[in-house]
Amino acid sequence: MDDLRLIERAVDMNETKISANGVQVYYGDNHAIKDVNVEIADKTVTAFIGPSGCGKSTFLRCLNRMNDTISVARVEGDIRIDGEDIYDKRVDPVQLRAKVGMVFQKPNPFPKSIYDNVAYGPKIHGLARNKAELDEIVERALRRAALWNEAKDRLQEPGTGLSGGQQQRLCIARAVATEPEVLLMDEPCSALDPIATAQVEELIDELRQSYSVVIVTHSMQQAARVSQMTAFFHLGNLVEYDETGTIFTNPSDPRTESYISGRIG
Amino acid sequence: MTDTTPLDAAPAGKPTKSILVEDERTRARNRAEARFRAYGIAAIAIAATFLVILLATIVVRGVPAFTQTYMTLDVTLEANALDPNGTGDRDEIAKVTTFGYQPLIGQALVSLLEEQRIETPLPPPALILMLSQSAPAVLRDAVLDDPSLIGQTVTFELLTSSRADGYFKGRVTRESLARDRNLGPPHLDILDQLAESGHVERRFNLDFITGSDASESRPESAGIGVSMIGSFFMMLVVLFLSLPIGVAASIYLEEFAPQNRFTDFIEVNISNLAAVPSIVFGILGLAIFIQVMHLPQSAPLVGGLVLTLMTLPTIIISTRASLKSVPPSIREAALGVGASKMQTVFHHVLPLAMPGILTGTIIGLAQALGETAPLLLIGMVGFIASNYPAGVAEGFLDPNSAMPAQIYEWAKRADPAYYERAWGGIIVLLVFLMSMNLLAILLRRRFERRW
Ligand SMILES: Nc1ncnc2c1ncn2[C@@H]1O[C@H](COP(=O)(O)OP(=O)(O)OP(=O)(O)O)[C@@H](O)[C@H]1O
Ligand SMILES: [Mg+2]
Repeated sequence: MDDLRLIERAVDMNETKISANGVQVYYGDNHAIKDVNVEIADKTVTAFIGPSGCGKSTFLRCLNRMNDTISVARVEGDIRIDGEDIYDKRVDPVQLRAKVGMVFQKPNPFPKSIYDNVAYGPKIHGLARNKAELDEIVERALRRAALWNEAKDRLQEPGTGLSGGQQQRLCIARAVATEPEVLLMDEPCSALDPIATAQVEELIDELRQSYSVVIVTHSMQQAARVSQMTAFFHLGNLVEYDETGTIFTNPSDPRTESYISGRIG
Repeated sequence: MTDTTPLDAAPAGKPTKSILVEDERTRARNRAEARFRAYGIAAIAIAATFLVILLATIVVRGVPAFTQTYMTLDVTLEANALDPNGTGDRDEIAKVTTFGYQPLIGQALVSLLEEQRIETPLPPPALILMLSQSAPAVLRDAVLDDPSLIGQTVTFELLTSSRADGYFKGRVTRESLARDRNLGPPHLDILDQLAESGHVERRFNLDFITGSDASESRPESAGIGVSMIGSFFMMLVVLFLSLPIGVAASIYLEEFAPQNRFTDFIEVNISNLAAVPSIVFGILGLAIFIQVMHLPQSAPLVGGLVLTLMTLPTIIISTRASLKSVPPSIREAALGVGASKMQTVFHHVLPLAMPGILTGTIIGLAQALGETAPLLLIGMVGFIASNYPAGVAEGFLDPNSAMPAQIYEWAKRADPAYYERAWGGIIVLLVFLMSMNLLAILLRRRFERRW
């Protein structure tokens, strides 16, 4: 683990953006998330790491109520964003999802043009007053997702015609175009080359200035590079949650230790 | 992977297999594949053969219905027969029935034969049998249209009788006429000579496509046009009811409805309804629409309602199938950027499902267009629609028939001339169905963007 450039980043004591208490998720009889408590700070990048199938995506999807769309999924516990219970009866999940954007694990561009993919969110939320403003939003989003140079000459071509990695960046552009307050990214760099990865990580770092970013990643290096806080999940449990530096240099749980040193996974 | 099974572990020292020679397994596999392809090709060949036989039969038997034998006849519309008092008053002229026109036609035939120097033993009343029974009516209509024709000699194109027409089409022979009371070999001699001189001619008969059904005794003037209008109005009802109801129901069931016993129950029953014989829908329509709701009998509106009931399950099932085939990741993507459920459905899911929905709808409509059984029960079969509906409302409410019902009716009648018309009607029906399928293909092309 000597290539981990652990920066001594002081985690500013930002106020809490998301707080989860006693969260349980069941898929039918499968208990996928077991009693997770976590406080996610504002203006911070939080990384979720853990072996495949441990529930990282599941927990992430609780944060914008994407699990509502899975009929067998059942979420218990208390999740608050800015102190407001997101599972409250009065909450409209649509409004919540405009506030909590998401990049999915599998790239899922709309079968529409690249432009329309990015413009869709701003359009339905009324973020642009005219075409010129919309163009600007689209360009900005594509630039932030490091896709502008490749896409600027083919904005009217189908988004599904892009390569896998380009599609992933298109989905990132689509998510940031709506200016969410929290951005949930499920393995956003899994299909990206090192250059695009670096660009996306730059974007994440930039987003941190104003938003709270939660990123699921299988790359320990990436977690170490971009995040200030890291949560380690194992078999549905949140094993350890601490400052990234601490997790990677001085984990308190033996399971964390063996995972980051490559012994379980 | 440390525990490789002995099967795929090549023993050391064994020469590697050449990929230039097929091994036994590959050969067997290739044989199986070749066999399967042969079955497939055979199946297609058999299907194609049947199709060709079917189409050829229909065309060969049906095409004669589109032509009809006409006689060009100069008729002198004598004033003392049609308007003895010389009033020129239309009401006065209308008092002369078609019966009064018959002698004029007989006269015209006699003079035509004289002019052509054709000898015949037949008296004028027997000569008239060469012409359709509709001929006097044609004359009368012309006169009532324009009373100034009275006293003039006018050239008419008159339909010959169905026997005479059948003689030119090869359906009727001299031998088969031996026992016929209406037409005999002397008539055929005349017809042969008139055909030679060009006074009798077989040509395209637009009236078959645009005309109305005729009574049993004059198949030569029967057409499918009015029942085509009936079918058209029924299809309007079916389209405007079953498409919105079917699509709305499917979208609700597929995208919004909670998964519970009740929706499961509805689902199962929709599938069951699709398998219910159409005649059941017919009797249901009779009981509910006619006996309870007192809608008019034999009306395209009722026919359309019954066919809507019949088509709905088909449309719902195919719409749901095409909604299901839209990948869930698209829905997640839309919901993820904060689209509402309805925006997700209307902006993303529906456009992708559109080609499938349209195909299903058009197949449903085509089925409805060709359906006869339920019409039997609501009285749209056997009714002779002799006039075009006067307007749109009448189109929906006045008694009418439908194309397949008309065809069934013709096929039932004794005269072989009607049998020929039944085949002709089937050609018209098939042309309609094919154009609908073509439309389905075009619409699918239009909506199906490959991305
Ligand atoms: N839609 C679903 N229906 C039923 N079970 C599910 C569903 N999605 C996930 N699960 C189950 O929940 C558990 C956690 O899955 P999850 O997708 O959260 O894992 P993950 O940590 O994201 O894994 P990976 O790193 O491979 O993406 C797994 O056991 C999985 O089988
Ligand atoms: Mg995952």
